[in-house]
Amino acid sequence: MKFELSEEQSLIRETVRDFAETEIGPSAAERDEEERFDRELMFDSLAELGLTGIVFPEEYGGAGADYISYAIAVEELSRVCASTGVTLSAHLSLGANPIYLFGTEEQKQQFLTPLATGEKMGAFGLTEPAAGSDAGSTKTTAVRDGDDWILNGTKIFITNAGEAETYLVLARTDKEAQKHHGISAFIVSKETDGFSFGKKEKKLGIRSSPTMEIVFENCRIPGTNLLGAEGEGFRVAMKTLDGGRIGIASQALGIAQGALDQAVAYAKERKQFDRPITAFQGVSFQLADMATQIEASRLLVYSAAYKASAGLPYSQASAMAKLMASETAMKVTTQAVQILGGYGYTREFPVERMMRDAKITEIYEGTSEIQRLVIGNSLTR
Amino acid sequence: MKILVCIKQVPDMESKFKVDGAGTWYDTGDLAWRMNEYDEYGVEQAVRLKEQVGEGDITVLCIGSDKVKETMKKALAMGCDRGLHVSDDDVSAREPLQIASVIAGFAKDKGFDVIFTGMQSQDRGSGQVGVLTAEILAMPSITTIVDFAYDGGTVTAKRELEGGIKAIVKVAVPALFTCQLGLNKPRYPTLPNIMKAKKKELLSVPVADLLEADARQQTVKLYFPEKKGGGLVLEGDAPDLAAQLVQILKEKTTVLS
Repeated sequence: MKFELSEEQSLIRETVRDFAETEIGPSAAERDEEERFDRELMFDSLAELGLTGIVFPEEYGGAGADYISYAIAVEELSRVCASTGVTLSAHLSLGANPIYLFGTEEQKQQFLTPLATGEKMGAFGLTEPAAGSDAGSTKTTAVRDGDDWILNGTKIFITNAGEAETYLVLARTDKEAQKHHGISAFIVSKETDGFSFGKKEKKLGIRSSPTMEIVFENCRIPGTNLLGAEGEGFRVAMKTLDGGRIGIASQALGIAQGALDQAVAYAKERKQFDRPITAFQGVSFQLADMATQIEASRLLVYSAAYKASAGLPYSQASAMAKLMASETAMKVTTQAVQILGGYGYTREFPVERMMRDAKITEIYEGTSEIQRLVIGNSLTR
Repeated sequence: MKILVCIKQVPDMESKFKVDGAGTWYDTGDLAWRMNEYDEYGVEQAVRLKEQVGEGDITVLCIGSDKVKETMKKALAMGCDRGLHVSDDDVSAREPLQIASVIAGFAKDKGFDVIFTGMQSQDRGSGQVGVLTAEILAMPSITTIVDFAYDGGTVTAKRELEGGIKAIVKVAVPALFTCQLGLNKPRYPTLPNIMKAKKKELLSVPVADLLEADARQQTVKLYFPEKKGGGLVLEGDAPDLAAQLVQILKEKTTVLS
């Protein structure tokens, strides 16, 4: 078992880190303050680097790299801007990957390739006002009409909404079926009649990433946009979230690492009582704990990523990675604010933004409670 | 068109440096390594030249231990076609003439039209390797270029001189160019190109096969500048002080010309 990155993975880390620090980092605080998404910076430039389809085969416009490379890319972006990290993660894992996993060859050519090349952006519509953790309670409906489907319903908290061109939407196709049975997955394009956008959420963190409500009112889509078999939607969603969890775990990891780097740099410079505060074990012990938890999280992320690329089952691994990395991010960023003290509480330093960004990683793509459910079930089945 | 670009692997300049045991170089343990900044401009210009001409082959050459191959991969990922690694675990003990002789030893029978090197390395900073290589190869060299334009066998280069003056030089290829900050903005290697770099040829040659020159200079001592005392106190009456101050500003700073 090699605990070393390959040369390609090392070069990917160096490249994305350089790019993130130089191009993305400088505007991160301002974009967060203004709640502004910058598509050219936060998506198009990622496409130019080949990140938007990093794990997909070259035949579909991807880079043909592995999931560890993907994890590295999301981590390095999130280290300076968690909003950019989630833009990529939601696009690739939630928008594009289900089409790769479940799409017909025609659907892959039509929808996957433009997503992989970054010509189009992807998003995922599962959550509803009354269906969060209880995703099986989906109320959005899809009714057959000739060869088409008519969608009605509302999805909320959709990342990349408004900007994305391609949406993966879960809707109930069989009203008689119970709970998570009778749900199907659909590909819906932005300019479709009857598909509109509702309110944009005002959030605690990742404020540069757009989160919106999407609304379907007698929205007609062609039958060829059904993804997977009718009634297979819940399975599509769950498999999609397994991959998405690696993305979010990587985002959380990046946020934590960025906060740790800030805390270490500050603690070395900040002098109190005639010495840098790193001289006090109260501080250095905290940094040690933060670094250890981050490293443990990183290994869980890489383990899940390795399994995903090796074609091994990885639901438990990705749930563990997401659970650990997100809780670590919250702890580490909170501690980083503490280490930076009064300065850490001001917007002049990035750690307060990192702390606000970290919180959502414990919630979306499956709350920490749901991750525990997944892991518990896999142990006790 | 055949292009050679010479690169060096140097430590990240943000690193904390320590003088080594012998006192003649820095301790190479525990450092993060990357491509010499000036060499990145050379790689970028080589790739742009090939793109402009529409055909060509770019060889990237680097001297050092196996560790330098990582940096060579970046050059391949930016667009170089093949790599020539000169295996030398003692590269930091070589002096510029020896480095130049190794490069010239490789290049002499290859028919390169254009050779790019960095203006200087960020660690040793001798600024000599490019020019010495050109001299050994009996090839014209143009140093510290901040602009490069190729047109049918002739290069028009802009050189940066002292005081911000620029000079325009025209030369027929084959020729060697040393690259300065401002020449171009090096591209980020794209992910597909990083993956493709794996398949590009990267040959290793032992330094003994190419090194012909004996060292004519040696590093006697490497040390941190001694911390001097605070400021300088000037004495005298006002006109006298003013004259002293102007003299110091003229001689020790670039504030007055």
